[in-house]
Formats: sequence, structure tokens, C-alpha cells
Amino acid sequence: MSVVSRPWSRLSLAGKIILPLIAVFVALNLVIVLGWVSGILPWLVQAILDALGDNVGILRFLIAATIILVITVPVAFMNIFFEMKLIAFVNLRVGPNRIGPWGTLASVVHGLKVLAKEDFTPTGADVPAFTLAPAVVYLAAVMTLLVVPFAPGLYGYDMDIGLLYFFAVGGVGVVGLMMAGWSSYNKYSLLGGLRAAASLISYELPLILSVMGIVMITGTLNLNQIVTAQEGSFLDWFLFRQPLGALIFFIAATAEASRTPFDLTEADSEIVAGFATEYSGMRFGFFFFAEYVNMFILSAMTAVLFLGGWNAPFDIDPLLSAVGITTPVSVAFDPASLGVGLLWLVLLAPALIIGLLTAVIWMLKSSWSIVVSLVVAFLLFNVIVVGALVTFAAIDLEWVIGLFWFIGKTVALILFFVLMRATLPRVRIDQLMGFAWKWLVPAALLNIFVTAGAIVILDQMGKTL
Amino acid sequence: MTGEPRVRSLDDPSIMVDSPATIIDAVPPYPPRTEREAEFYSLKDGEMFVNLGPQHPSTHGVLRVVIKIDGEQVVDLDPVLGYLHRGVEKICENGDWHHAISNCDPLEYIASMFSEAMPVLVAEKLLDLEVPRRADYIRVLAWELNRISSHALFIGWLALDLGGITPILYGFIERDEIVEMLAALTGQKLLFNYLRIGGVNGDLNHEFLSRLGDWMSRAGKRIEESSKLMNENEIFVGRTRGLGVLTREAALRTCVTGPPLRATGIPYDVRRAHPYSVYPELEFDIPTRTEGDSYARYLLHLDEIRESIRIIDQVLHQMPDGPVMAKLPRLLRVPPGRAWVAFESPRGQYGAYGISDGSDQPFRFRIHDPSYFTLQAVGQLVPGHLVADTMAIMASLDPIMGGIDK
Repeated sequence: MSVVSRPWSRLSLAGKIILPLIAVFVALNLVIVLGWVSGILPWLVQAILDALGDNVGILRFLIAATIILVITVPVAFMNIFFEMKLIAFVNLRVGPNRIGPWGTLASVVHGLKVLAKEDFTPTGADVPAFTLAPAVVYLAAVMTLLVVPFAPGLYGYDMDIGLLYFFAVGGVGVVGLMMAGWSSYNKYSLLGGLRAAASLISYELPLILSVMGIVMITGTLNLNQIVTAQEGSFLDWFLFRQPLGALIFFIAATAEASRTPFDLTEADSEIVAGFATEYSGMRFGFFFFAEYVNMFILSAMTAVLFLGGWNAPFDIDPLLSAVGITTPVSVAFDPASLGVGLLWLVLLAPALIIGLLTAVIWMLKSSWSIVVSLVVAFLLFNVIVVGALVTFAAIDLEWVIGLFWFIGKTVALILFFVLMRATLPRVRIDQLMGFAWKWLVPAALLNIFVTAGAIVILDQMGKTL
Repeated sequence: MTGEPRVRSLDDPSIMVDSPATIIDAVPPYPPRTEREAEFYSLKDGEMFVNLGPQHPSTHGVLRVVIKIDGEQVVDLDPVLGYLHRGVEKICENGDWHHAISNCDPLEYIASMFSEAMPVLVAEKLLDLEVPRRADYIRVLAWELNRISSHALFIGWLALDLGGITPILYGFIERDEIVEMLAALTGQKLLFNYLRIGGVNGDLNHEFLSRLGDWMSRAGKRIEESSKLMNENEIFVGRTRGLGVLTREAALRTCVTGPPLRATGIPYDVRRAHPYSVYPELEFDIPTRTEGDSYARYLLHLDEIRESIRIIDQVLHQMPDGPVMAKLPRLLRVPPGRAWVAFESPRGQYGAYGISDGSDQPFRFRIHDPSYFTLQAVGQLVPGHLVADTMAIMASLDPIMGGIDK
């Protein structure tokens, strides 16, 4: 056995990390499997559920929050990879192409590098605020993901005030940016923090006003119901019923996510890195991740509000029945009913399977390094997951199709954000504020006025918008 | 610092600690030496200093600019020079005339074919030397190629300082091809050391000509193509039009030359005003703009690239055969006298003043660098604008620190 024959000191860093992790995962899974088989764990879960009684929603919330927190990491990696590769394409460069197939793992390695760097606090910094700021920014970004409906029945939490929650929690991030800017004891950081506060607060207004039309049409703040209201062909999307609102929302979302051309909070040619100037290591990584998670969330919200969310742009059922597939009855995906099992599935299973595959491949092909085995195992795992998804599709097609359209729309919007970054220069702070207050806010008010008028007139005629 | 107590907490001495954080503070550690310094380094209520540089992404070299800001608005600024100073004028006096060529090379490090021409032209004027015509044509060819490579980079830098990340890479494609070409000709990519007193170091070779022909077939087209990304870009035009307007009077008073001067409507170009080399035999226009703002300066650079391509086309058609080096003794003793030469670099009028005492070394060698005067204009144009505009103005004036610090 080559695992045994390789002494610990001869292992690469990756091997030293992977091996203990495999041991931990095996132990954890053994506990879970044994607990499940012996009936202790189901009994424990049942006991907890009984003890919770009507408060089972809390458990469901905790599980959903954990899953959402975990999936932000691959989401950020995906966005960073898109950004590196697409901007390289526009710049006539190659971009990342060494680590992983087509450089797909480059952003993962960036993440590991950021973890390994020194965590530095400058003298004169306000330490509590300096330490808390990245967490505030990151959690504000992550928490908004809780209400995003990914597919029919797949969402973190079905909140009746989902839209309001989204704007309220999204606004908390500004506090973190201000904390970072003030506590760093650096003038560039201070300027960056103040710029962030000024621009985010200004653009919050048109962002909220632009979706008022949708709220008036649908009469709800529940994001699931807003998506349901757009069922049908792509002509039923709110993009075509609220074109001005969609435009304003997208522009304001660009500013909210601090993306080019509104990225003057971290304008590198002016204020170095803005509020993140003094940050290093994983604290900087949190800011970096939060930016990309924000980009994903705002793309997802644009897709949900204006592009029909999980709805297909056309009816594919006739097409599917033509090839002999009929849509079965959907099983509602309820995390609470799965409980700890779902947590186990999402948290541990991918890492466990990849780790086990790596170990097996590494043992069988001792000429390969652990990194190569890891990459191969990762690919193999993806193949298995795709196979599992196809199998699952046979069971619950609606869920997979919904996720497909939702992710497709979101990724298209993310790519559009990235293309804007590659093409446009940056606006000045006075142009930024002037654009918000002189153009976007009046246009959003006009949109509300026109929508309200249309609703009243159509109501008189006995129709609905 | 003496004077009234600081108001802003970031400048409050009571919270200042003896740490690297105070080292980066903008205020100099010595008491003010001049009235201007005393006025600049005293803060009113609500103002603060920000130290741009010496290691800052947008100072284009090792320049430090201390700006005094009130919110986002720049109240005043103080460029701090000397980070690249090496006393090149004195160094030139300690070597012979040939050494001065390579010593002057790094002054204009973006377009060093120009700065290395200074001792060459001064010595030739003192020697009253007739340079072979083919050598003159080769010099013009190399100068104009280098001018294009410098201007292509200027366009990219301006965009980069405004936040656009793509044009700089398109600019570098042009520059890379030209630099490869010149490397085939001279053997080096940055500091060419190609001009010689009495000619040039080596005739045109096959690789250079094949690369040049390859590039000429698409040069104009590609520059037009990549400038489309910026010319009508609403944000770019909104950021640069009407920004940093240099008036004719201010430009003349500050001795600004080159594109910033021509952007104010004065068609002063040494190639036409005081012709040298074979420029009188070539047909080209001196593009001018009247607005004098950053956008005009940007468009002017595009026009100059087009004119340079025109010049290169003519040079290639008119270039005669013959030697590329005049017959000169190995140990060059320049006759006593004094001479002033001026020529047009991508950044304006380069001037050199040399005194010879009859030995093989320059007795005195003085350099007039155009960037030094465009940097003066930065101080006049920036106050009153926002922090972000400081970069747009500085990048559009395009000073190069090598020549300023000498």
C-alpha cells in the first residue's frame, strides 16, 4: 500500500491536508451511518423534533442557513473564474489555464492562497471594528440568499416579506464597509468607505422604487409568488411588462454590487483598494468573496424579478412528450422533512466522495501526485453527480428544469456584468450621485406612476395587467 | 508640525503612534523651508492630506503627489520629486561623448530612442558633421516607430486610470510588436542605445523589415479599431471632455510643449518649427485641437499616431542606399564650443545644451525635459477638481518621471 509506504514527511502540503480530512470525514460518516442503522440517530432526531414541536421552523431555518452559507463558496469561485476567463478573452489574453481543466480550479487555489496568507492588523486600527467588518459584509451578502427561490419548492425560506427582507438585509453591508473604512486608520480606506456609503445609500432608493411596479401588479412581496405570476411564455416576464423598471433595477444593482462602471469604492487607480486597502489574508478574502456573492445574488434577483425566475421561456412539455418523457407529479422539496440527512448530504457527501476517490486513485496510480489524483477525483465526482442528477431528473423533472433555467438566466446576467467590467471605464463620484438622483429616481417614480395608471385603467375595463 | 492644532482625528498628533503608519504620513519631518511649504502643510478645518505615491498605481513611475483634500475635492497639491534622481547630467560629464548616449537612454524610458538622441545631436552640431542620408532616414524611422509605441501606451494608461482595463492591453499589443521590431534592429527592447555620433549602430536587417512590413499592413486599421472602444464611450467622454482645460496663455507661460500645447491650438512642433534631420523632406501635418482638455489631448495622440504612420510610409519609400555611419576617429575629440539642440519627443520638445572644451568628454551637459513642464501644469490644473480627476488629468498630460528627476 503506497499510502503506508509514503512517510508523512514526504507528503506534499496538499497530501498533508487531504489525509487528515479523509480520516475526519470517514469518522464522521461512520458515526452518522452507524447512528442511522442502529436507530439512535433517527430516535435522537425524532426526540429533537418532538421537543421542538411547532418550532420546527427554527430547525429548518438553521439547516437552510447553513446550506446557503456553504454554497456561497462555490458560487464565488465560479464567478471569479468567469471573470478571469472572460476578461482575458476580451483582452486577447489566455487567462487561467494551468490549474484544473481549462483553469477552472484557479479561483479555488486563489482561495487557498488567501487562507494561507498572514492576517495582519495595522497599528492604530480600531481592532474590534476592523475584525468584525469583513464578517458583517460577508454575512449581509449571504443572508440575502436565504429568500432567493432557486426552483419550484427549492428555496431557503419562504418569507411573505421576501422582497423587503432582501433590501433590508442587503443594506446592512454598507455598515460593514463603513466599519472597514473607518477602522483601518488609512486615508484611502476612509475615502473608500465613505464612497461606498454614499453610493450604496443613493442607489438603494432607485433599486427599491424600480420594483414597486411589480409589487403593485402582483400584490405581494413574496418572491415565490412573484415568480409564479410570471408563468407562461417569455412574454409574461416582467421584463416586458416593466421594461423601465428592469433597466433601472439592473443599473442600480450594478452600483449595489460595486461593479464597473460604478466600482469607485475600490477604484484601484485612485484610492488603491478603497476600504480593503489594509486588509490581508482571509479578511480580505471575505470582502473579495462578498463582492462576487453579491454579484450572483443581484443577478439572481434580476432573474427572479424580471426574467421569470425558474420559468422556462417557452412551454417544453409538448417537446418532452414528443420524445416520450412526461412530467411526473412534483414532490415538494422540504429540507425540514429531510432534517440532518440533508445537511449530511450537502456538507459531507461531496467532500467525502472526492476524498475517497482521491485516496483510491492515489493508491492505484502511485506515479501521480496527490494534486493530479485530486483533480481526477473531482472530475469523476462531477460525472457521478451529473449521472445522479439525470437519475433524479427522472424522479423530479420539474425541479431540475427549474434550476436549469434559473441558473442559466443568472449566469447570463453574471457574464453580462463581467463584460461590462471589461469594456467600460469608471464614473466619477459626482456623476454617480447625479445619475442616481437626477435620472434614476425620477424615472423610477415615473414608472410607478405609469404602472399605477395602467392598473387603474385596465381595472375599469375589467382586465388585469 | 508647528502651528494651530490639528482638527481631524486622522491627523491628530495625540493618536499618532511611532509606527509605519506615521511614516506614510504626508507631512515632511522637517519644519517648513519656504512660505509655500508652510502654507501648504497647514490644514484648515475639514481638510486632510492624502499621499499619492511614491508607490501608487497611477503615478506612472516614482512620483509622489501630496494632495490636500476637502471631502473628495482637491484643494491644493504638492508634487514631491527626486525619487529617480541619479545626477545624469553630471554622470555625462564624467564619461566620454559615447558614454553619454547610454547614460541618457533611461531618461525617457517609454521612448528611449529620443532621449539617447540628445548627446548624439549635440556632438554632431559641435563637430559640424554631415550624417549619411540613409542614417538620417533610419533615425526618423526609429523615432516615429517609438513615438507610436509611446502614444499607444499613453492611450492605454489614460483608460486604465479612468478604470477601463482593456485598452491598456490593446495598447500593449501595438507596443509589443514595435518593441520586438526595434529589438530586431537594436538588440534591446527598452533602452535601445542605437543612435551613434555620426549615424546609427547597424543597418536595417531582414528581420526588422519583415516585422515592419507585417505590422504596417494592419497598423492603422487596428488603432482605429481599438480606439472605437473609447472615442464614443459615453463614460469616457463624460470623464475627459472639459476636464483639466489648459488655456493657451497658461500653456505658454508654463513652457508646456508637445501634445498638451498642440491641444490648445498652437501648432508648435519642433519637426516643423525648427526642422532637423530629414523632416523637411517629408510630408506630414501637425494635428492640433483647440479645446485644450483631456479629451482633446487624447484625440491628438490618436491623430499623431496616424501622422507617424504616414511618415514611416514615406521614409520607407524615399530611403536611399549608402553607409549608415560617418567616418570618425575612434577617440572622438569634439572641438571647443557650445551647442543647443532641440527635437520633438512624444512628450514635447526635448532640448540639450552641451559645452565642449576640446577633450573627448562633455565639459557641461544640460537637459531640458518636456515632462518637467507638463508636471508644472498638473499643479495648476488639478486644484478644484475631484480626487478621481487628478488621475485623469495627470495621465492625459503624460509626464515621465525618468526625465523629470534626471
